[in-house]
Amino acid sequence: MAAEHSPLEQFTVERIVPLHIGSIDISYTNAALMMTIVVALVAGFLLFATRRPRLVPGRLQSVAELVYEFTDRMVEDNLGEEGRAFFPFVFSLFMFLLLGNVIALIPFSFSFTAQIVITATLALFVFALVTVVAFVRHGFHFFSFFFPAGAPLIMAPLIVPIEIVSYLARPVTLAIRLFANMMAGHTMMAVIGGFAVALGYFFFLPVLANVALYALELIVAVLQAYVFAILTVLYLRDAIHLH
Amino acid sequence: MSEGRPPDPLARLGERIGQARREQSERRGGGRGASPHAPLGIAFRVAIELVAALGVGLAIGWGLDRLLGTRPWGLIVFFFIGAAAGMLNVFRAAKDVGRAPPPTPPQGPRDRD
Repeated sequence: MAAEHSPLEQFTVERIVPLHIGSIDISYTNAALMMTIVVALVAGFLLFATRRPRLVPGRLQSVAELVYEFTDRMVEDNLGEEGRAFFPFVFSLFMFLLLGNVIALIPFSFSFTAQIVITATLALFVFALVTVVAFVRHGFHFFSFFFPAGAPLIMAPLIVPIEIVSYLARPVTLAIRLFANMMAGHTMMAVIGGFAVALGYFFFLPVLANVALYALELIVAVLQAYVFAILTVLYLRDAIHLH
Repeated sequence: MSEGRPPDPLARLGERIGQARREQSERRGGGRGASPHAPLGIAFRVAIELVAALGVGLAIGWGLDRLLGTRPWGLIVFFFIGAAAGMLNVFRAAKDVGRAPPPTPPQGPRDRD
């Protein structure tokens, strides 16, 4: 077995431009490079597609309007008119993850959404935002979130810790779901691709399997970006419309 | 044109757009019954939900033990609390599966654009 070509090798973060401030390593890595590319692509695409807006949109403008209206509907269906303030955030998040996931499927690129550091940072940011919004909107009434209305007061010592743990588990699930889906998919494709070398004349079997997996991974890539965005929106809804 | 309609063609157009939007949102609300999630995705989600809450519970218990020196009681108590929270999250996630999104509040034809 070729141990030097592990299926997990693709997730290695490498320093492209080593940078250190004191003992803190802030090197520009391949993950950072991919993120830069994705941000540039998203911004560039949207600016380019809408540079000469027409009433009857052309192809590129249609795509831009499609993703815009898709996110818009997602935000408005769940948050209503007052949630409009969160649209830019949700839209940026969705586009960033969507393109990050899809671009990772291009061979020899790097899937930064399969790095738990990145998904966890995003999830913690969402978590902090939701908590701050809830506090700003409701003040200390926010704590009623941890005690469902109508429950007997005797149950409070049991219910409150459970609800708090359940609340704290949110960023964890948010981060792990995206990370695990992307990592599992890419690892699976690498493993099955490795079979193609081992099988000799029957190399086409795993290759065909990989073609099918590729389609599946494309669905997963889009779906997971959507799931991350919609959960962000649902958490924001909880924060805005506290029961 | 019939009597009840506004005479202005633009207003008529606005009315028709509003009608189409209402129909579309109704269709969307009804059509979501078949959820877009694959069964595997649901299973995956449930597993993550359970483990994550348990992990958070254990982390809190361990941290409290370290702070208060009550080892191993915090870990034990929060293990069960974490498990309960995991069940609660799974229950909530399962409730969402296949549920239509909340109905949009009734509103007239939007004149945003």
